[in-house]
Amino acid sequence: MKLSANRYGFLDGLRVLDLADETASFSTKLLADMGARVIKVEKPGGDASRNIGPLFKDISRSENSIPFFYSNTNKLGITLDLGHNEGKSIFSKLVPNTDVIVETFAPGELKRMGLNFEALSSLNPKLIWASVTGFGQNGPRRNFKVSDLVASAYGGQMYVCGSPSAPPLKSFGDQSYYAASLFAATAILLALRNRAKTGTGEHLDISLQASVTATLEHVMVRYFAEGIIFQRQESLHWNEGFVVLPCKDGFIHVTLFQKWETLVEWLATEGLAADLADEKWLDEGYRRQHLGHVITVLKKWTTAHTIKEIFETAQLMRFPWAPVRSPNEVCNSPQLKARKFFIERKYIGSGKTVNTPGSPYKTSSKIEARTHPAPMPGEHNELIYRQELGLSEKNLKLLYDCNVI
Amino acid sequence: MQSAILQGLRVVDLTRIVAGPYTTRMLADFGAEVIKVQSAKMATGIESNTTPYFCAWNRNKRSITLDMDYSEARKIFLKLVKISDIVVENFSPRVMSNWDLDYATLKKSNAGLIMLSMSGAGQNGPWKDLVAYGPTVQSLGGLTYLTSYSQDAPMGFGYAYADMVSGLYGAISILAALEHRDRCGQGQYIDLSEYEAVCTTIGPALIDAGFNQNQIVPEGNEAEQRPGAPCGCYKCSGVDRWCVIAIFSEDEWQSLCSVLGNPAWSEEDKFSSLAGRKQHKEILDRHIGEWTAGQTAENVVDCLQQAGIAAGVVQNAEDLANDPQLAAGNFFTTLDHPVLGEIKTDTYPIRFKNCRQTPWKASPLLGEANQYVFRELLGMKKTTIRSYIEQGIIA
Repeated sequence: MKLSANRYGFLDGLRVLDLADETASFSTKLLADMGARVIKVEKPGGDASRNIGPLFKDISRSENSIPFFYSNTNKLGITLDLGHNEGKSIFSKLVPNTDVIVETFAPGELKRMGLNFEALSSLNPKLIWASVTGFGQNGPRRNFKVSDLVASAYGGQMYVCGSPSAPPLKSFGDQSYYAASLFAATAILLALRNRAKTGTGEHLDISLQASVTATLEHVMVRYFAEGIIFQRQESLHWNEGFVVLPCKDGFIHVTLFQKWETLVEWLATEGLAADLADEKWLDEGYRRQHLGHVITVLKKWTTAHTIKEIFETAQLMRFPWAPVRSPNEVCNSPQLKARKFFIERKYIGSGKTVNTPGSPYKTSSKIEARTHPAPMPGEHNELIYRQELGLSEKNLKLLYDCNVI
Repeated sequence: MQSAILQGLRVVDLTRIVAGPYTTRMLADFGAEVIKVQSAKMATGIESNTTPYFCAWNRNKRSITLDMDYSEARKIFLKLVKISDIVVENFSPRVMSNWDLDYATLKKSNAGLIMLSMSGAGQNGPWKDLVAYGPTVQSLGGLTYLTSYSQDAPMGFGYAYADMVSGLYGAISILAALEHRDRCGQGQYIDLSEYEAVCTTIGPALIDAGFNQNQIVPEGNEAEQRPGAPCGCYKCSGVDRWCVIAIFSEDEWQSLCSVLGNPAWSEEDKFSSLAGRKQHKEILDRHIGEWTAGQTAENVVDCLQQAGIAAGVVQNAEDLANDPQLAAGNFFTTLDHPVLGEIKTDTYPIRFKNCRQTPWKASPLLGEANQYVFRELLGMKKTTIRSYIEQGIIA
């Protein structure tokens, strides 16, 4: 293929149908941002995920969900009632020209509708089909209802986060959906490579619960190696090597055992090392036994400073410390500005632009990254149904009238 | 037998600790030949080949030893790059260029090379030298602040979630760059920032803060933006056993009431609407907590799920290891390690209908592939190899 084929990104030309709700629409957003042509297929009127907050202020529209906007940038949007026979027939016409379908229906639901992988791969044997569900297509819990809270609990995230004197704590903001979406995107790219080798499609089965368990880092490693059931212990991290401490103007995340002697010297120059210069503290085992005292001394020192004072000096001395930042502060990060991390996108229906988090990596290829916002429901019905499927204007009107699209 | 998906790809792996090794583990799991470049002096602490932690992130890989501080070692490295497809590194940004092994140099040996650099904050910008670990990047990127019961006491994660997210982005960027290379023959340099990877996981909060100028505060276990009540974590019988319940719709609330046996309190006016239930959340949570406290989390959840309510057991590591749902998908597997013996490990949360998995190997011992790489792949003479070993270049 010619170089120009990849004008909009590495996946330019890849054709994707997105039938996902909020649990996996981020997976196809990743593909769309890399140049794939992703068509979001929603029920007439739009997907329910268009109502999830937080909402954009000052925009006079019936639906203005920020999460929907964020997870659906650069996609085209069509509406289609898959429960309607005519809707199914139109969907079947889209399948032969599709590389990838991502869907989040409950296991068995599409089969009942006659739209499962087996049925549709006969129309397109090269079809790659990714199903993202709470617990996967099989197993005793496959029909359980799921939400981010439920996946975070079952997946093991909650048990290890929070304070021992409070209930387990869920991670902020639909992390199970993001984790599953990252795995789904990985799986789709793997299936594409396999298809290039073998010529056959694939059915991918991704579980939210397992995606949470797969991102627990040390938790299962230590259980299998040492039988340790890790408990929640606030900000101490697994090795009790980290802690969040207060400063004059906020909080800083510090390490407790790195470069111990340098750290004690630093405190001593300010007369705040207390007894930590004593020889007995050189022994890491002793420090771990008396962790509370170490933290008390450090806390007295950090509270005498601003975040900036400690963060900048620490970085110069190569301590991997960082401020605890709020989203409002992250928005003003000089590093993110310098790297042009935020991408300006127009929000349809208003003249305003929205600074949207972009990709976390830069590439050497010169690419004209698209900056389209998320589509309105059925925004591209004309384009897809009229121009591409060749439906007549009369036919299209009929479909609108019957509420199929 | 069908070959693994990435069989035939060779990866030179300079990564350490978790984020980088997780990227290359993903490639190795699917059949890429991943050659980890180590040295005796670097393979210490959790990078020591026989720690369970190292084993977890380096399965299915090979290991060679090269002390990269020697220019001879770097020459050998370049020869290996020449016959490879991918290089991944997660040093501080200046290290590769100090060794004169930046992408511009490597590209001269191999025009189609894909190189991925993974760092704390990226290869440019005022914080390019940021020294960072997963937990502190989570703080810098807003995730610690948000994952808390209140803004006055940041908690964050008990593990390095950022490293896993960053590792996944690493794998995605490489696989996409391979697509690009297949189409137009072009190599690629990818500069991945772990800080930015964290920021992508709080995208809506960043837009809410930036566009709406709202002050974002932590939500604890409530999803403020999808108002539900009851919605949270409740104590059950047993030591530190908990369940979660999330009620959003009126139907779900009615189902919950009927599971509870429609107690008198549930019919009080103040609970008759979502707004009322949210307003009287504390009393409501006390009622629900009294009901859950007398039963096992498993019982509570089974009853609620049968009634069509989203509920879950807060599982710990032992529960996960014995979870019939994860077992049904063969989520865990056992590898045979030459020193540690049989060791269990997770696989990945993706199931393929057609693709068969080729057999997996435990992580390598230090320099286990020296003969294979230096003799077979690079065609070095036995005497040359011996001399490099004596000089500490292969070490």
